[in-house]
Amino acid sequence: MIKMRHISVTLLSVFLTFVVIGNAYYQKQQFYPSVVYITKSNPSMAVIYIQALVLVILLGKLMRKIFFGQLRATEFEHLVERSWYAITETCLAFTVFKDDFSPKFVALFTLVLFLKSFHWLAEDRVDFMERSPNISYLFHFRVLLLLVVLGLLDLHFVAAAYQSTVTKGASVQLVFGFEYAILLTVVFNIAVKYVLHTVDLNREIFWENKAVFLLYMELVMGFIKVVLYVFFVVIMIRFYTLPLFAFRPMYYAMRNFKKALIDVILSRRAIRNMNTLYPDVNPEELTDADNVCIICREEMQTASKRLPCNHIFHTSCLRSWFQRHQTCPTCRLNILRTPAPQQTQPMQPRMNQNRPAEPRAQPMGPQDNAFIPPPFAFPWIPQQPPNVQPNAADAAANQPGAQQEPAAAPTGEQPPPTDFSNFQFFCPPFPFFGMPIPPPPTPPSDLSNISEEELRKMEQASKEGIEARLRCLRNIQLLLDASVAMMQQYVSAANTAELAANASQSGAASTSSSNVRQPGAEGASTSSKESSPLSAEPSPSSQPQAGPSSSSSSLSEQEDIRKRRLQKFDQAAK
Amino acid sequence: MSGSALRRLMAEYKQLTLNPPEGIIAGPINEENFFEWEALITGPDGTCFEGGVFPAKLVFPSDYPLSPPKMQFTCEMFHPNIYTDGKVCISILHAAGDDPMGYESSAERWSPVQSVEKILLSVVSMLAEPNDESGANVDAAKMWRENREEFNKIAQRIVRKTLGIPT
Repeated sequence: MIKMRHISVTLLSVFLTFVVIGNAYYQKQQFYPSVVYITKSNPSMAVIYIQALVLVILLGKLMRKIFFGQLRATEFEHLVERSWYAITETCLAFTVFKDDFSPKFVALFTLVLFLKSFHWLAEDRVDFMERSPNISYLFHFRVLLLLVVLGLLDLHFVAAAYQSTVTKGASVQLVFGFEYAILLTVVFNIAVKYVLHTVDLNREIFWENKAVFLLYMELVMGFIKVVLYVFFVVIMIRFYTLPLFAFRPMYYAMRNFKKALIDVILSRRAIRNMNTLYPDVNPEELTDADNVCIICREEMQTASKRLPCNHIFHTSCLRSWFQRHQTCPTCRLNILRTPAPQQTQPMQPRMNQNRPAEPRAQPMGPQDNAFIPPPFAFPWIPQQPPNVQPNAADAAANQPGAQQEPAAAPTGEQPPPTDFSNFQFFCPPFPFFGMPIPPPPTPPSDLSNISEEELRKMEQASKEGIEARLRCLRNIQLLLDASVAMMQQYVSAANTAELAANASQSGAASTSSSNVRQPGAEGASTSSKESSPLSAEPSPSSQPQAGPSSSSSSLSEQEDIRKRRLQKFDQAAK
Repeated sequence: MSGSALRRLMAEYKQLTLNPPEGIIAGPINEENFFEWEALITGPDGTCFEGGVFPAKLVFPSDYPLSPPKMQFTCEMFHPNIYTDGKVCISILHAAGDDPMGYESSAERWSPVQSVEKILLSVVSMLAEPNDESGANVDAAKMWRENREEFNKIAQRIVRKTLGIPT
């Protein structure tokens, strides 16, 4: 349908041209007057211009057929999209040069547009090389031929513009000179890309440096373009006026350059990090896990890197991703803002799921041994023993990471206050001398954050704590035993005191009664004599027998007294 | 050696052919060019797009999967998140760097972890639950919010159209 319309328009314009020429020749009969007639008549010239435009389009189609064959849909879309911008800018440029507006001038601008569109198409075509599985020789031939033709044309026009400007002074040739200079950089850019793609296509293995070359080329080209545009704008302001029509491409050139620059800087940093800081993953580890690189969806056998967030990718895939974004593809962890893992632990164990770069929260480091409680401190007293706080501060200071994550760092040192309030209920009324109990370390919120080594440290720390507690409990047991013994002693002492009191009373009774019944007193004394040797024996068992022994000693005293009295009685009786 | 983009697309194509997700068919338009795909999406059940089969075109950049593909419905669509020309506006199709609408967090954007399958599944859920906060089609967003009946009617008309049933 559209093709039909194109053909009919072309035929119509050809027909009109013939009519115009025929009419002129019919009126003037000779060649020269006819030409003059046509150039003098505006309607005739309009027809001729339209015919010229149609011819240019036809020529373009022919060239397209030669250099590109069938255009792809996206290429055509790009072409149309860019053409509109270019045409608007050309119209803007006309306003600047309205003084030397002439058919020749229009023709030159049309030529620029015409060549520009071929540059765009060449660019798209070369980009297509990356997407197509097989590239024919015809493709190579066409691209090479096109690049050579475009390059030569650009060079020629730049040279012509330069000559014209030097000999005739500043004119509209300035604009063309710059336009072609820009186009020349585009041709160069396409050529470099073409070479890179061709090399890549002929390589057996993936060429990871290609992206780096492309990135740097983009940077250099962007720089050249920016310089050209700035130069152009300065010159235009000096000779004419502000070249509004150049602003849009200049803005894009600057933006692209800035982006390329930032990309280069950030990607260099990220790639340097990757090469130096992130550990390689050894093949064994790769085989026992899901080893598909999420970027290329291919298996990882070698050359893989582990990011601080523990995600694994091909080194080459990561490199090309880092050239765009410096984040982990899976979890979007910003690589540049995350401190790299310490080199002392090149192989992070698997369980270290989260970022190992985050503070190594070691609740109980080795220096916590010093924190094993000093003797005679009272851990049950609600407020923390004063020596704990500085210790915690020390520990924090010794672990530089500790300050970064206040939630995780002080875990071991500050048990929840509820522990103490619990203790208060059992708080003995008097101080106990013994080993204070180090407060139990609260487990970190997420155990999976912690590396094996840290876990081991924590384990050791808690083991030490338990041991200290056990020692403490043993001491308590000992003290309790001792106090029980003492209590028994007191009890028995009290008993014997009572007993002694009773005995002295009974003794007194016996002395009073011995006057009456001596043999009875004798019997009593003998019985007490019998018991005394028994009690004098050192008791093999401990304190519980203390009571009887002490009472026996007091009994022997009483016996002595009684004996002496008896002797007195005997003497008195004689 | 062809580029990594091509190999990844081939891998995804294979995966989609072996394990097709329900209600989704996708593949290259022709085997010569793996960078332009066609997809058929069925309207999710229980929504106003139920029963419809919507054709769409996916165009992949040469640096795929580092950059996202573009997706465009080739049939008529009336939906808050689809431009009138059929282009789909969802966050995972936007490159991580730029934010055209200024409302998306980077966590929703494109990353190489995404895939054709995930994109198409996201589009299915987008059909079921339009996000009227970010209107690609402002008329549709307004109608979705204020006149759901009318919206459903238009959706049903489009569904019938895609199935070739006269309305």
